[in-house]
Amino acid sequence: MRLGRDGIAGLIGLAVALLLLPHAFGLPRLPIVPIGPGFYPALVLTFMAVTCAMLVLQDVIAQRRAPIAAPQAATEQPKRAYGLVAASFVVVAAYIALLPLIGFRIGTVLFLAVFQLVLDRPRSLRQWALLAALAVGTSAVTYVVFEKYLSVLLPRGTWTGW
Amino acid sequence: MLELLGAGILTVLQWKYMVPLLIGTFAGVIGGSLPGFTITLTVIVILPFTYGLDPLAGLAAMTGVYVGGSTGGLITACLIGIPGTPSAIATTFDGFPMARNGEPGRAIWLGVWASVWGGLLGALFLVFLTGPLAAIALEFGPWEYFSLFVLAMAMVAGLAESSLLKGLISTAIGLLITVIGTDPIASVPRFTFGSAFIGGGFPFLPVLIGIFAFAQIMTDIEKMGDRGGNTSGPLRATFERFSHLKINWEIFRQPFLLLWSTIVGLIIGILPAIGGSASSVMAYDQAKKFSKTPEKFGKGHPEGIIASEASNNANVSGSLMTIMAFGIPGDAVTAVMLGAMTIHGIQSGPLFVSQNPGLAYGIYGAYILAHPLMLVICWAAMPLMLRLTSVRLAVLAPVVMVLCVMGAYALNNTMQSVYVLLIFGVFGYGLVKMGFPLAPLILGLILGDQIEINLIRAIMTDDNPWLFLTRPISGGLLAAALLSVVLAVWQHLRHQKRVAEEDTDF
Repeated sequence: MRLGRDGIAGLIGLAVALLLLPHAFGLPRLPIVPIGPGFYPALVLTFMAVTCAMLVLQDVIAQRRAPIAAPQAATEQPKRAYGLVAASFVVVAAYIALLPLIGFRIGTVLFLAVFQLVLDRPRSLRQWALLAALAVGTSAVTYVVFEKYLSVLLPRGTWTGW
Repeated sequence: MLELLGAGILTVLQWKYMVPLLIGTFAGVIGGSLPGFTITLTVIVILPFTYGLDPLAGLAAMTGVYVGGSTGGLITACLIGIPGTPSAIATTFDGFPMARNGEPGRAIWLGVWASVWGGLLGALFLVFLTGPLAAIALEFGPWEYFSLFVLAMAMVAGLAESSLLKGLISTAIGLLITVIGTDPIASVPRFTFGSAFIGGGFPFLPVLIGIFAFAQIMTDIEKMGDRGGNTSGPLRATFERFSHLKINWEIFRQPFLLLWSTIVGLIIGILPAIGGSASSVMAYDQAKKFSKTPEKFGKGHPEGIIASEASNNANVSGSLMTIMAFGIPGDAVTAVMLGAMTIHGIQSGPLFVSQNPGLAYGIYGAYILAHPLMLVICWAAMPLMLRLTSVRLAVLAPVVMVLCVMGAYALNNTMQSVYVLLIFGVFGYGLVKMGFPLAPLILGLILGDQIEINLIRAIMTDDNPWLFLTRPISGGLLAAALLSVVLAVWQHLRHQKRVAEEDTDF
């Protein structure tokens, strides 16, 4: 049995719903409320399980009917930079993880510089200068606006104390 | 009412409100003119700056973004044939050919002026119809509210482009996110598994920002493989000589076109989460059907631009009407506005206008004043806007990401919201890659708590579940929800049949 993208997504959704349903049914009921705290989640999870099961079924039927894709079809797909997306997620995750350690001011300058580098490496001195200016400038402006004007206490780094 | 409106406009004319409105409108025009940036992303970027402001100042800024963004999309639509926002899609059909025929100035300014007049006509409906709509909503009991929310979700799921099933699953995911944490009646923890991190549930705005902003930015980054990092090519347009008077005459010599496009936009705006793109395409289609010269459409016909732009700006007033009368967001932008209202402790819904007249009429005032402001911005800052549309994604994405992080962090000055942002950012991108629409999820996320509360209230008042069907309004709303799902299935089957017939043609 072949499964496509929808089938896999449906299976994941179905598994999550079935895993959580017993928990919803097991929630304690209170005498003052006619329906317990598990009633509504159980309703939502049942709905999710049914729709996910239908999606799996729909995908199985579609996969049976669909002819095997021609190999050249792959070359017709537009080029997608998934590596860049993965790298972007890593950079953003690292920024968020490091914020409480190195603080907003240092962390944001580094993040803005590294993220720009990852997305598009500067090719001229002017572009390098623009990269640095944007990194420092954006950090400075957001710091002034949020901390000085909007009274938001931005994260201080436990490592840097700044 | 007119007195209150006058007071609302005078209030917003104060610097305290005028500056945020001006900045918001400017940001909206710029954000709207950047292809792939969207109005929702612009309002998310503006959001953290509004936390520390007076509620009306914050909402005025967001209203400005909404109005400015709805117009900004037409700039690239006319000049390079790529709509800056989905709501300018139908403007491309005639705006781009007109610009290519040597009249880029006429194309853009026809759109700008049509936006202004469509938006201001929409304001009339907004001011005079929100109250009566809220009065109808006041007659609603928990049964009717429950059914209304179910109808809203059924409509949004049914409109999902990929498939109805995926739209419904997306809705269920949104609802499921809202049940994590303590239950609203007895505070029993649900699906927290002893974790303090999710003990209080997921805060709405970081989830929304994470899902929407990450999905948008990462999808744009993905496309860098195709076009190397530019949001669009650099725009250089030399405008021909044209007269603003003549352009306005072109609009007003067809009052029916302007009025009908406005009404189409307004109605689509009132319906939950359908959005400006549908209204602009529908108004364009209607304009073509009613036109004496339908053969000219698609070749630079002014009627096409007028219909599309008047309708997408009137759509904004419809969305604002829904949020103020029913507490249901008309689209993702009003969802963010709803979140901002919650932060300020303001409850939207049928009592909103009567309990907060100053704020409500202030929003009307901001909406009305945003139009002349947008006109001035477009007139004064067109060369700057043309330059900004060529900003590289490599520059734009990191700045937007920092502002998203700030938007989550500044909510309660803790890193927890930022972690939620990241988790749901990854999750939202994954959903998009799996082909799930995000609009139903967002609506489920916003309405989840209210659906549960109204369901429990209804059952606590009377445990007869048939009341949901036998009370006329509630039953009617549920029937409409069912009809909406049946229609979506029918449309899907018809589409499949047509595709199968086209396949067998050769």
